[in-house]
Amino acid sequence: MSRFVPADFQPRLPLDRLILSEPPEEERIEMDVLFVGAGPAGLAGAIELAKLVKADNGEISIGVLEKASALGEHNLSGAVVNPRAFRELFPDLGDADFPFSTPVTQEGLYLLSATGARRLPTPPTMKNHGNFIGSICEIVRWLGAKAEDLGVDIFPGFPAEGLLTEGDKVLGVRTVATGLDRDGSELSNYMPPADITARVTALAEGTRGPLSQAYCEWQGLHGKNPQIFALGVKELWELERPLDRVIHTMGWPLPNDAFGGSFMYPLEPKVAALGLVVGLDHPHRSLDVHELLQQLKMHPLFRKYLEGGELVEWGAKTIPEGWFYALPPRRTGDGVVILGDAAGFVDVPSLKGIHYAMQSGMYAARAIFDGLKANDTSAATLSAYDRMVNESYIRDDLYRTRNIRPAFKDGFYKGSIKAGLMTVTGGRVFGKRITMHADADMARGSGGGVEVTPGALTVSKVDAVFKSANATRDNIPSHLIAADDVPADVAEFYSHVCPAGVYEVSGDGLRINAPNCIDCKATDVVGPRWMPREGGSGPAYKRM
Amino acid sequence: MKLAVCIKRTPDTETRIKIAGDGKRIDEAGVKFVLNTYDEYAVEEALQLKERAGSGEVVVVTVGTEASQETIRTALAMGADRGVLLKVDGASIDPLPVAKALADELRGGEYDVVLFGKLAIDDYSHATGPMVAELLGVPCVSAVAKLEIADGKGTAEREIEGGVEVVEFSLPAVITADKGLNEPRYPALRGIMMAKKKPLEVKDVALADGGLEIVELALPPERQEGRIVGEGADAVPALIDALRNEAKVL
Amino acid sequence: MSNILVVLEQRDGKIKRVGHEALAAARGLADAGGGEVHGLVIGGGSVEADGLGAFGADRVTVSTDDSSELYQSEPYAATVADAAQMGDYAALLISATALGRDLAPRVAAKLDCPLAADVTELSYDSGIVVKRPAYSGKATYTLRVTSPLVVISVRPNAYAPLQSDQAGTIGEGSVTAGREGRAVTKEIKQPERAALDVTEASIVVAGGRGLKDAEHFALVEGLAEALGAAVGASRAVVDAGWRPHSEQVGQTGKTVSPGLYIAVGISGAVQHLAGMRTAKVIVAINKDADAPIFKVADYGIVGDLFEIIPRLTDEIRALKEN
Repeated sequence: MSRFVPADFQPRLPLDRLILSEPPEEERIEMDVLFVGAGPAGLAGAIELAKLVKADNGEISIGVLEKASALGEHNLSGAVVNPRAFRELFPDLGDADFPFSTPVTQEGLYLLSATGARRLPTPPTMKNHGNFIGSICEIVRWLGAKAEDLGVDIFPGFPAEGLLTEGDKVLGVRTVATGLDRDGSELSNYMPPADITARVTALAEGTRGPLSQAYCEWQGLHGKNPQIFALGVKELWELERPLDRVIHTMGWPLPNDAFGGSFMYPLEPKVAALGLVVGLDHPHRSLDVHELLQQLKMHPLFRKYLEGGELVEWGAKTIPEGWFYALPPRRTGDGVVILGDAAGFVDVPSLKGIHYAMQSGMYAARAIFDGLKANDTSAATLSAYDRMVNESYIRDDLYRTRNIRPAFKDGFYKGSIKAGLMTVTGGRVFGKRITMHADADMARGSGGGVEVTPGALTVSKVDAVFKSANATRDNIPSHLIAADDVPADVAEFYSHVCPAGVYEVSGDGLRINAPNCIDCKATDVVGPRWMPREGGSGPAYKRM
Repeated sequence: MKLAVCIKRTPDTETRIKIAGDGKRIDEAGVKFVLNTYDEYAVEEALQLKERAGSGEVVVVTVGTEASQETIRTALAMGADRGVLLKVDGASIDPLPVAKALADELRGGEYDVVLFGKLAIDDYSHATGPMVAELLGVPCVSAVAKLEIADGKGTAEREIEGGVEVVEFSLPAVITADKGLNEPRYPALRGIMMAKKKPLEVKDVALADGGLEIVELALPPERQEGRIVGEGADAVPALIDALRNEAKVL
Repeated sequence: MSNILVVLEQRDGKIKRVGHEALAAARGLADAGGGEVHGLVIGGGSVEADGLGAFGADRVTVSTDDSSELYQSEPYAATVADAAQMGDYAALLISATALGRDLAPRVAAKLDCPLAADVTELSYDSGIVVKRPAYSGKATYTLRVTSPLVVISVRPNAYAPLQSDQAGTIGEGSVTAGREGRAVTKEIKQPERAALDVTEASIVVAGGRGLKDAEHFALVEGLAEALGAAVGASRAVVDAGWRPHSEQVGQTGKTVSPGLYIAVGISGAVQHLAGMRTAKVIVAINKDADAPIFKVADYGIVGDLFEIIPRLTDEIRALKEN
């Protein structure tokens, strides 16, 4: 098979498992508001809601479910953070109180060739003066402590595996069972799923959230463009030589028909985050973001910082990149709201989503609070959240740059020219919507691979998974759903898409090493489906 | 049955150790703290003893800083009834002052069994349980992998080099738990919610002075380059010699 | 400095090697600080305590009682504490074995003195200074003793026994023995062949595809039994169905950090290395001299495992019986 379309081999999202219509268990836990996912969106939402309730002298139960075994362990971002949402959420605190590492002082954007680096003027959308470098893991732990101080109940280690529904209404979620053997039988410490009902369920699952996806599909909520994704692979390095600036690059080692770039941020003078982000809509079968990142590290620009240093953490995650035109037409429904990355609030040109995630959580909290006061959590009442977002800087920022990412669908150079024009004109040139295809609908041909010579700076996928601190119990049932009889070409494609070595070509077919999975969701976009699994599985990021 | 479990907040075993600037402690930045692995077996065993007895109380006690409250909550979420934090400013590398603080708390509590993990994965001292037993004047069986208790007495099995010791004891007693004693339960969601409402008493205590002073905490030396000791079966004596006298692992 | 008292562990009336090691540790400390080394043996009917001078003891006291043949925590602790108070001691050394790890803290509490547990190095620098591992061996403490008496448990294998011509004096039964304890060791059972968990074992012997057949794993099991080790397996042999998944060491299996890891017929795929490279000492036995496993191994033998393993097993058995 020379060319294939990944969608032809992708199993459908199993709505029957994700949307549950039987009544909740009698032994259910009842809450007023349940946030699914303890990332910046869910935690900022919980904090804002708890503050509103407190100011009103009320008392409600607010819960936050998190699939990682401890806060922050499944969070990964660059990250250069715009402090705007922090300032609004914590008006009594100053920037120095926030969990940031250091302000951005210098930055440089470079166009790379294999050996050279040409400095480019920083486009206005990428200017970071006034922003801060931080680790999302640390940010999340800090927000979690703030939420708990306000009486929010956070439950790490409890992923949600399905939405409890009645008619079109969301009643809550069911958690994943723990203590199952590989064949699905119960081990001695088996713990059954628990049903949690809530007057409002806030889906803050992050990128490619299965419940959010299922809800949108169930309710037919499709944006004008399909949502598209990029995969970011990131490493944390302790350096011998200090890094004093934020670096972004474009060009090498990516092929011209792939969209993406790299970043390197100093968390401390001698601790740096380094990553490569590549759109999953490239036409190649063998393009491998992890391998490209290994190659990138050989470039003199990075090499001079990395040599003599030590790789201390590794991780990967997808990023929703479809933005304005891919947003679901509503992010609210009866008893439900969708926040942050799960809704697609990411601005690609500025490479930011954390402040939008937090802000969306805060807006949703205000709508939920009003709904609880009025004892009405219907779609009509909660739609105040959609209105707040639509009238906010989230919408303005995403609209202004609405066509920049789609412009790159024709390749890097044409895309750059179009993007440049759009940036200077505030999006008015090419203002009409550029139609996009879903990543899985893009045909893949051979090529795109790179040969990386292992060396002191490189890390293999297996070793990389080790550096993600993935300690998944190795006898849990597989949580990945692949098609039967995947042809070798497609299996090879999966093996390159997945940065963690979950998929391997085995003979003429596909072999799945499910415990390697670090929840980046890349193959969920173009191949086998990712389903929630036992709490605490996956990576244990500390400072990503 | 009245049971106490003495627990400790320790870094996760997966934690990468970095030494703090003073060269005497680990750098706690970014370190994940958990309920000491062996203490999980102790908590589980206490819960099972209470369940088998049909009634009773499981009290968890720890010596630590404010942050140890979280560790107590973990044990409460598993099912313990109440917690006591003996709040101190810092740690003691000498286990005796800690054992004294625990013994002072437990004395007069009329506990049938006081359980510990056999060791804390940070200090690796294997000490606090037997010390508390001595201070309370009760028998102790340490590193227990099998336990039966009935009618005011018990039988325990503990692994020793090349065998298993079978020990009979009378109550009250101290037991320290080894891996294999049981399979600790996961805290259930409901258990976690209930844990927040269970009583947790915080008492300020001052640790007695210990008799050990930390000069340094250091990372072990870098791994040395390996070598081929020989070819074929004839190389076996050379290998054994290297393992015994160089590596000192046999 | 004052003298050092060493509790010498016996089994079936014979002083164990760890006792000789503790004497060596004490001898070095006493020579540096200026003091004598006194041994104390607690046991049943008869104890072979002759010749301990050669191992570094200046004087040995034997305390026997029929009820003390097996380790009994309370009477042993009382005997040791009595002996400690009868001399002018600066330190009390006990081997950090299952017995010593139970006895040492009890004695320290009885004597109201500090305990330095699992010590690997002792030195004298106007006072006793010890090194001891912590954080699963990922860091080492250096501690200075600030009290007049300290109990120190010495890790097995940290010191090699001494051999000298010195005789030493044997005194007998000079301390009280035979008190009743409320915890009584009834017997020592031979361990059931319950498989030792690969993540918990201090020694792991792991086999890979080089064994060629599931049946040949008996070689690995034999060596493991001789060493008191757990059996591990590479992913290849688990996938082939030769071994259960619970034994798999590596990225998708268990991560182990034993004191000694012996890789038999394992080439050393990175995913395997990821699971065992934190082992303290790694031994590789493989016929391919270029196998990646040799890059992480401390000691390697290149050659036919079907010849090497039986010989290694025999020699380990002979060593253990000694």
